[in-house]
Amino acid sequence: MVKISDLADNTGEWLRGTGSESDIVISSRIRLARNVARFPFLSRANVKQKKELELTVRNKIKDADITPDICYVNLADITSIDRLFLVERHLISREHAGGEGERGVAFGKEETISLMVNEEDHLRIQVIRSGFELREAWKTIDDIDNKLEKRLNYAYNSRFGYLTACPTNVGTGMRASVMLHLPALGMTHHIEKVFNAVAKLGLVVRGLYGEGTQVSGDLYQISNQFTLGKSEMEIIEIIESVIPRITNYERMARKALVAENKEQLEDRVWRSYGMLKVARMISSEEIMHLLSQVRMGVNLGIISDVEMKTLNELFILTLPGHLQKLEGRELSSAQRNIIRAAYVRKRLEKI
Amino acid sequence: MKCESCNKKHATVHLTEITGAVKKERHLCEDCAQNVNTHLAKMPSPTEILASLINQVAPEVSEMSKIVCPVCGLTYLEFRSHGRLGCPMDYTIFRKGLTPLLEKMHGGTQHVGKVPSRAGREMIKKNELMLLRSELNKAVEKEDYEKAVELRDKIYELSGDDNGEN
Repeated sequence: MVKISDLADNTGEWLRGTGSESDIVISSRIRLARNVARFPFLSRANVKQKKELELTVRNKIKDADITPDICYVNLADITSIDRLFLVERHLISREHAGGEGERGVAFGKEETISLMVNEEDHLRIQVIRSGFELREAWKTIDDIDNKLEKRLNYAYNSRFGYLTACPTNVGTGMRASVMLHLPALGMTHHIEKVFNAVAKLGLVVRGLYGEGTQVSGDLYQISNQFTLGKSEMEIIEIIESVIPRITNYERMARKALVAENKEQLEDRVWRSYGMLKVARMISSEEIMHLLSQVRMGVNLGIISDVEMKTLNELFILTLPGHLQKLEGRELSSAQRNIIRAAYVRKRLEKI
Repeated sequence: MKCESCNKKHATVHLTEITGAVKKERHLCEDCAQNVNTHLAKMPSPTEILASLINQVAPEVSEMSKIVCPVCGLTYLEFRSHGRLGCPMDYTIFRKGLTPLLEKMHGGTQHVGKVPSRAGREMIKKNELMLLRSELNKAVEKEDYEKAVELRDKIYELSGDDNGEN
């Protein structure tokens, strides 16, 4: 049985800042939506059916031997802070945390694999990798899906593919997304151009926590809109063809900032770094901005004494759920600001 | 001004009726006006207005609106207002309405991705059954009953472990 508190002072493997293009691409994520045949989708399922589904899917996940150290958390049994904590780590969705009834999540110790049971669909499989590694993520998730498909009879038909509760996911049931850090495109006001170009290819841009969330810390997720009519590999290839263009564009914008006014850029970066090291109160919005500036500073070689992994982790470890988990109690937003500042000082002091 | 029909409520509806050369003004309360056979009473109700609007925007809705999924009980209108389907069967039941929606959403309506191996097996089995059934028909036509029995048993055997999926 997992102790969620064991996770609190570190983060998943996908934040370690390795992999292709990891200066700009934080992570690559793929999720598959699957439903069990002969059961209604969850919005039409009664309590008994939900229970039966949860039990069946949970047991099949355990039988499938997906990853050796897999653990399962029943979301109805844990506190709302714990659920928020799991959302912040990208192990469950906001909708899953806020849902009701029998539902849960299985995840491996490295936190690169997670399986949500009774979310919008009966099963949502997710794989996250550090850096620009969509193909790797696909290989892993395809393998997990094959193992589960031997044990579960998926709702599928040859015309519409994998049948999902929402028709926006039908077909492959696949959403592939890449999380990008684009501070220079934001500063130079070129980000809108990227969004427009991406939209023309049928891709969407979202914030850090997916659908309907705000962009903060210059972190953006780019993912496919369509799931029907193209194969999994075709969808991945489209995203793969777009990402290098965006990362090159971001690098060009960074170069332009350096060329235009090097001192000003350096000043911004060092001020942000200084703030993180001395501030006594930092809001969650402010810290995202400061971390974003410092992260870019490290990529440009302005700052060299802090690791990328540390910065990536701080984006997650300073979120409200994590701070409350670390303290072991509920905190007001003002209390969190004090603890957040203290935590960051401690983490950066070691350097 | 009091309503000239019931003489109780305030008259809020003022009608001018012209019959030939005679012009007549009537002052009624809302309740009484509803009972008078005028074009006011013939005004479409808000639901009717809405229905005609939907008809314009999404013509398949009126045609589909009477359809209810026999498996989960979801109506097509419920699906259109919430955007969520009730069970896998809905994709078959609401196919006609869904197809243009899926085309708009995804730019395609035919799945070309992964096929679960189980579905692959089902497909092979379906094809095999079809073949056996046509052979059986031929055998019966030729009055080759020995072969027909053999084929019938094969069909029973194959469809026996068919769990009726999809």
